[in-house]
Amino acid sequence: MTELRTRWIKILKDIWQNKSRSALVILSIAVGIAAVGMINAAKLIVERDLYRAYQAGSPASLEIYVSPFDKELAGAVESMREVEKAEPRRAVDALIYRRSKEKWEDITLVAVPNLNAVEVSKFVLVKGSTNATTRSILLERQSAEAMGVGVGDKVVIRMPDDRQYTLQVAGIVHDVYIQPFNLMNEATGYVRMETLQWMGEVPYYNKLNLVVAQKPYDRAHVLEVGHTVRDRVIEPAGFQVFRVQIPGVGSDPGQHWAHNQIQGFLLILQIMGVMAILLSAGLIVNTISAVLMQQIRQIGILRAVGGVRVQLILMYLVYVLILSVVALLLALPLGWLGAWGISSLAARFLNFDITEMLLPSRVILWQVALGLFMPALVALYPILEGTRISVYNAVYQSGIGTEHKEDGVRRLLMKLKGVSPPVLLSLRNTFRRKSRLVFTLVTLTLAGAMFISVFSTRASLTQQIQDIGRYFTFDVALSVPGGTGKLTAVREALRVPGVEVAEGWANANGVILHDDGGESKAIEVVGIPYDAITIDPVLLAGRWLQKGDAQYIVVNDDLLESESGLSVGSHVRLKVGDVERWYTVVGIASKHLSGPRVYMSIQEFWRLTGRHNQVDVIRVRASAARNSDVITQNAIAAALEERYKNAGLSSLKSTTRNAIFADFTQVFDIILIVLVIMAVVLSIVGGLGLSGVMGLNVLERTREIGVLRAIGASNASIFKLVIVEGVTVALMSWASGAVLSVPSGLALAAAVIHAVLRADLNFRYSYVGLAIWLAIVVLIGIFSSLAPARSAARLTVREVLEYE
Amino acid sequence: MKLASLNADGVYIIGRLEFGERNCGLCIINWLMCILEVQDVEKSYKTAAGFTPALAGVSFGVKQGEFVAIYGKSGAGKSTLINLISGIDCPDSGQIIFNGVSINRLSEDERSRWRGKNLGVVFQFFQLLPTLNLIENITIAMDLSDALPLSEHRGRAYQLLEQVGIADHALKPPSKISGGQQQRVAIARALANDPPMIAADEPTGNLDSKTRDGIMEIFSSLAKSGKTILVVTHDKEIASWADRVVYLKDGRITEFQEE
Repeated sequence: MTELRTRWIKILKDIWQNKSRSALVILSIAVGIAAVGMINAAKLIVERDLYRAYQAGSPASLEIYVSPFDKELAGAVESMREVEKAEPRRAVDALIYRRSKEKWEDITLVAVPNLNAVEVSKFVLVKGSTNATTRSILLERQSAEAMGVGVGDKVVIRMPDDRQYTLQVAGIVHDVYIQPFNLMNEATGYVRMETLQWMGEVPYYNKLNLVVAQKPYDRAHVLEVGHTVRDRVIEPAGFQVFRVQIPGVGSDPGQHWAHNQIQGFLLILQIMGVMAILLSAGLIVNTISAVLMQQIRQIGILRAVGGVRVQLILMYLVYVLILSVVALLLALPLGWLGAWGISSLAARFLNFDITEMLLPSRVILWQVALGLFMPALVALYPILEGTRISVYNAVYQSGIGTEHKEDGVRRLLMKLKGVSPPVLLSLRNTFRRKSRLVFTLVTLTLAGAMFISVFSTRASLTQQIQDIGRYFTFDVALSVPGGTGKLTAVREALRVPGVEVAEGWANANGVILHDDGGESKAIEVVGIPYDAITIDPVLLAGRWLQKGDAQYIVVNDDLLESESGLSVGSHVRLKVGDVERWYTVVGIASKHLSGPRVYMSIQEFWRLTGRHNQVDVIRVRASAARNSDVITQNAIAAALEERYKNAGLSSLKSTTRNAIFADFTQVFDIILIVLVIMAVVLSIVGGLGLSGVMGLNVLERTREIGVLRAIGASNASIFKLVIVEGVTVALMSWASGAVLSVPSGLALAAAVIHAVLRADLNFRYSYVGLAIWLAIVVLIGIFSSLAPARSAARLTVREVLEYE
Repeated sequence: MKLASLNADGVYIIGRLEFGERNCGLCIINWLMCILEVQDVEKSYKTAAGFTPALAGVSFGVKQGEFVAIYGKSGAGKSTLINLISGIDCPDSGQIIFNGVSINRLSEDERSRWRGKNLGVVFQFFQLLPTLNLIENITIAMDLSDALPLSEHRGRAYQLLEQVGIADHALKPPSKISGGQQQRVAIARALANDPPMIAADEPTGNLDSKTRDGIMEIFSSLAKSGKTILVVTHDKEIASWADRVVYLKDGRITEFQEE
């Protein structure tokens, strides 16, 4: 067997005999590499499994909502050369009884021409059969799981007319094209048209799913085809088109419905991953500097017995390489575990299957390359610096804290009055090694800024939700299908015990007509009482509706995205059905997850739509002064549903204000938990960095500490010397982190809010986060200094003399 | 041209190189046998108070196989001198020539390489590597200078430990043996690559008298075996082991004493 050279034996023994230091380097490398693996693997897994599944089922490029039509219309559309496939669908909102919770849940019943041969946005059979009979249903798998039913079980469906039907579950299907139950709390079931007919519905479709023949991913082209289909086939055939839209929340054709949100979230994670790598690199530089500082005398001895610099450089590079390999072995499974966690979370919420939980080879290669080269590359600087020292300085000068030139900070510290000499010494020590101080500050500052940013993002989200909440200042809202008379609707609502305010709102779809003959995309026209209190809009410009506002409207910011020329004072020609009228914009309201909207007085709405005295939604409140608590909301919701059902107005499920925001908060919290975990990792890395630097400082000043001990310094005062220095650095990092957290918080909050809400940022700085980080950073300062302080306090005068 | 001349003390010098000879012929022979020439070396250190001279024009020569002690009180410049001779530090002016090579003109790396093959260094505080055992503390010097085939490293290291009488502890770390034993290991390490000269800076300064004699016996026997030994000391008894003593005072050679 070939004998190992002594230089390599030394490296191996150094690693083994300094286990905690080696562990620190391994951990520093592993954290960054694992983060990269976790984030990139999760990204690839989501893209591979979710996007591939999405593409595989022939996703609709376009959805056209049409007045009731039959199969022939779909056939006519499909015969157009611009269209590859056109499949009709019918969606009916109903309720499904959830036995486990003894309550009714929303369900969308979807009817397609042939459940055995869906052609567009296809679902996949998971269990049972797609051969549904008139009295059976296919349930989406998340809905089935939530309802606790399987193939052969029976479910009870309550239709809008309040009749209940029992259907047998014929099959469980997986539909990646719908917004899943785990996210939206809305079940989905698939039935034959005959089933809907049996349940009292008219046998017509109301939506066309289209796959465009040419350029199916070109947004403009796809929309153009939609308009062509509408103008050349649907409207000439006598049907009304309500809406032409690309599926998803702002996605492009062919993209998953939450594509932008997923990409936004992955981008945030990738930014965090880059930060983890940067911090990891910084930590490696720090720890290797410490190692070299500790071994300066050994370097001198090695050179004294014949070692040349390049040999020493190689030795320390191999040292880093060995630790990198161990770190990599640790980081690979850690990254896998993290990727599994994130992907599983994504799979649960976005309803897709992870086909394979192996780390993609591309990610492994990335990790290996980064894990092996990054540490060696960043360690090269301290290694080159550390081995540059002359033999004389290495053997005879190490362990002496070098005095540096006077500068502004030191002069300022000299002038400090009333500070005890040991504390003053700690403060001066802090500024001795400025480059090292800067590094530690950067690490902890980044961690702090990230931590506070996460809290600011939370605060901004809360603020954003509160702002959005101003558009939902009802306690309970209930849709009235087909509309009903305003007086009846309000009267019945006010008869519900506890209800003090009841407002009837109405809505319709319309378009804005342009001067060139074109028209805007579909917008929602909302008619409301001018003195409505179940809305408290955030106005970006102009004013809200007032009494007597006949020709005035308020538009929302979403509308301005597509109609950028609109401003307060603009005149617009609005078309609903066949009626066109001119209006003046008097106000612009903020975005509130509604899509493009126009608000007008309900009287004007009735004039425009011809639906005199009709309302579509009843919004109630228990008190005119404020929104009521959750219990009251739920009680009113139940009573209102009961009342409306008995009055034959609506048998739909009402919505409480609380329920809307509970769903929001759940999604946000998942994102924030991931961000907080990353911030905690960063603060651990920052703490490790500070600990390393404090160890280095103590090592460098061994002789000075010995002198202090020789002149009578107690253990406690040596301990205090180091702790005060650590806490000083921590406090400085807190201050700089607080400053940096403003722009970083703005960026993170904007990214998250844009990803989740597609809304503009309303930034709110988190002073709570700032205070929590202050407490954490002081603790980091103390705990990071404990070990170095203990070593400093343990140094005896004899040891220091020996050190010389 | 006159090769040798007499100085004020009646000692012959060649150039400014002194061998302590009052006999011109012997002086020339010494010069011809000279392994080390220290020529007019000056060195000062920068301190807060300005430049403090440590050596002010030191010149002397050392013959091959000679055991020379550099003697002086604390602050005389003896450690500075041995650091310059061993290439650990560089003079401000003057030359140090070893076997015809002016070592102060070499780069730091070249001096390391030169030390590896030509000079073994022994420090006052032993300076063994704490993580390596005794054998490895010796083989590391062989490994770094590549003077011997790898397969011979351990065998020779063991042999050297036997030579300094400490082979029984070969696999122990330095922390498990006494100071005297550590210094023996340091000497064995200095001999690792079989250099012609050993330079020792206060090699017994940290040891008791009994251990001290043991160490000096090793140096003495090494000198007898043909090694050139240069020992720095402030201890007259140590200096008495040498063939020749170079007295240093305030950075200058003051007088010579022949054994």
